[in-house]
Amino acid sequence: MESQIELEYEDIKGRANAKKVRFIGDLDATNVETVLEKICNLFTEGFTTIVADFKKLRYVNSTGLGILLHFSKSAKEKGGSFKIANVNENVYEIIEIIGATTLLEIYDDVEEAVGALK
Amino acid sequence: MESVKMEIRQSEFKPEVTVWYIEGDLDSNSIETLNVHFSRILEGNRFHAIAEMSKVSNISSAAVGELMGCRQVLSDKGGDLVFAGLSLDCKAKLTHLGANKIFKFHSDLRTAVNAYAWEVQQKPEKVWLSFPPELNFVPPVRQLVSRITRQKGYGQRDSFRIETIVDEVCNNAVEHGAPDNLRDIELFLKIDRKKIEIEVVNLSDPKKINSLKAISKSILGTNEKKLERGRGLSLIKMLSNDLSIDFSGKGTTVHVTKLREE
Repeated sequence: MESQIELEYEDIKGRANAKKVRFIGDLDATNVETVLEKICNLFTEGFTTIVADFKKLRYVNSTGLGILLHFSKSAKEKGGSFKIANVNENVYEIIEIIGATTLLEIYDDVEEAVGALK
Repeated sequence: MESVKMEIRQSEFKPEVTVWYIEGDLDSNSIETLNVHFSRILEGNRFHAIAEMSKVSNISSAAVGELMGCRQVLSDKGGDLVFAGLSLDCKAKLTHLGANKIFKFHSDLRTAVNAYAWEVQQKPEKVWLSFPPELNFVPPVRQLVSRITRQKGYGQRDSFRIETIVDEVCNNAVEHGAPDNLRDIELFLKIDRKKIEIEVVNLSDPKKINSLKAISKSILGTNEKKLERGRGLSLIKMLSNDLSIDFSGKGTTVHVTKLREE
């Protein structure tokens, strides 16, 4: 049984090439491919900047973290960015242990992440 | 109204525990019988007692008061009196009287004996399970382990870390296991109040064994955070207090010890 993860999308006012994406559930090895496909579709559609709201992301493992790093790298290559907001302390600890806090753009909340868009 | 019957026996599983079988209506008329049997418990010098009450039809407030007194005496001698097998009606009545703040309620006798072993003797509990080497089986396994740790009183943060360790070890076992899926992955847990030991055994893929040994050696011998190969293993190492991997024989055995922090 695949872990449950749901992505909800929302436009960001005044930012035609940006999208807010709410991650809901667990991100792990069983669903990374689904998430990878959905986010890559956004890149293909021209959304080069993504603000990921992790308020309802309960869990992430090393495989999930791997695709987050991939999204960050891909967005930068396309001239955009992949920003993360509202990370719970358990998920943050995993990111920190892996040493990815300097590689990912992490913000306290969505407003701050949106405000940091160039 | 059913007259009360009582019997005192040693627990079949823990002879140092007294089981006080009570049957019928525990009303004010039963207090004398109750005191006679309680004296026998004291004479037996076994001060941990379980009142097995699955056949108790009613409890009066007078009887509850008497049982509170019995509990106090046992408590003063380093023991306890707990209830097992209460009916919903009796449980509701005891809760209404506030007795749930004084007595521990257990669903049945076996659960009460296990709780004694866990809380008083601090004996570890062991869990063994096996599952097919497929990724989709890993989330329910890691969530089950997390719930076990929560149920055993571990904090939310510890449980999350343990869930992550189990997830990473099991994912590695699936990813690097023998391709023919001949043998299930086995997970052994040994949990006590201070630590959990996790052991995962799988049949290794002979083609990957040398590269696995090299990655493991490199990660186990350094404190560096790895961002490419072996990210999961680095995570396990950082979250646990001890990690060892044994490649001897046909299988791979990963053994992790995680101390309780909360």
